[in-house]
Amino acid sequence: MALYSFWIFDRHCNCIFDREWTLKTNPSSGTTNSKLNEDTAKLLYGMVFSLRSISQKLGSKDSFNEIKTIATAKYRAHILCTASGLWFILLSDLKQEDLSQVLRYLYSEIYVKTVVYNWLSPVDFAESANEKRGQGFRKIRNRQFLLAVEQFLGPMVN
Amino acid sequence: MSASMSGVANASTGSKKSLKAFSDDIWKNKTAKINAELFTLTYGSIVSQLCTDFERDFAKVNNQLYLMGYNIGMRLIEDFLARTALPRCESLAKTSEVVSKCAFKIFLNVTPRVGNWSSSQDSFSLFLDENPLSDFVELPMDAAKELWYSNIICGVLKGALEMVQMDCDVYFTSDVLKGDQTTELRVKLNRILKDEIPAGED
Repeated sequence: MALYSFWIFDRHCNCIFDREWTLKTNPSSGTTNSKLNEDTAKLLYGMVFSLRSISQKLGSKDSFNEIKTIATAKYRAHILCTASGLWFILLSDLKQEDLSQVLRYLYSEIYVKTVVYNWLSPVDFAESANEKRGQGFRKIRNRQFLLAVEQFLGPMVN
Repeated sequence: MSASMSGVANASTGSKKSLKAFSDDIWKNKTAKINAELFTLTYGSIVSQLCTDFERDFAKVNNQLYLMGYNIGMRLIEDFLARTALPRCESLAKTSEVVSKCAFKIFLNVTPRVGNWSSSQDSFSLFLDENPLSDFVELPMDAAKELWYSNIICGVLKGALEMVQMDCDVYFTSDVLKGDQTTELRVKLNRILKDEIPAGED
């Protein structure tokens, strides 16, 4: 089992969390919330956004057709989109068929309990209208959240 | 986990009975509970504190309760979605059902009746036959006219619905505490908000 990276996007299309484990320069320690990842985040958002719209258009009207995974020759992206507009995305190797339970755990046990319940942490990461529509750069810096993500996903990385 | 997953599948197909069974299951197995009286009395002390702070200007108290509710609702919706994994509702009828049978059940263990649909199907009422917030409460004379004691619920609904892109007006139209026959909460859908799209897409 190998996980490559983990991303969260909020309902303003901003990347509010990213964690990458596979950077070539320093393979032992990953990077969290790195500036370098901003472009990658936007591209990833765009990829999921487009494929998601297409999959919804191709589905029949009355049944809900939400995108779950996208696979390429080298990796697979697992996607959880909540009704409130949050996206959780995990990139893994091709051996992982379905990580939806993992994503669900990240959402309900980690994000909700450390970010949403934490009344002093913002629940909306866009500070002004300028930071909406993917223009924002504020990230989750909550230590408990970072720790919990690391503890939960760490053992699955390799 | 498998039980809850099949529940999700049933709930999204929209059958009435399964939505009820689904939320009963969440209430029983997936919800941490606290003593209802502790909650009722805590809420009571907030309202009474606000009445003191605003020098019994009940319009301001209503407003403040609403705002507090709004902030709670914005967060509570994530909790709700994390527990239920429900997708967005395709119609307001479905929304009303999820709110009454699922949301009220999970958070307050009551199931308000839905009724009083407007002819254009864009607003409905929730009749709270029992309201855990207002146990033990009797409004003093000066508050009975203006104060909507449970106004925080309106704010919570407003905030939560807004987070799933439904812009609604939520308000009380009657309350047994004020001597009315029923406690009626009105929800009116103004519009469905659009999801944001990244800059440069339009």
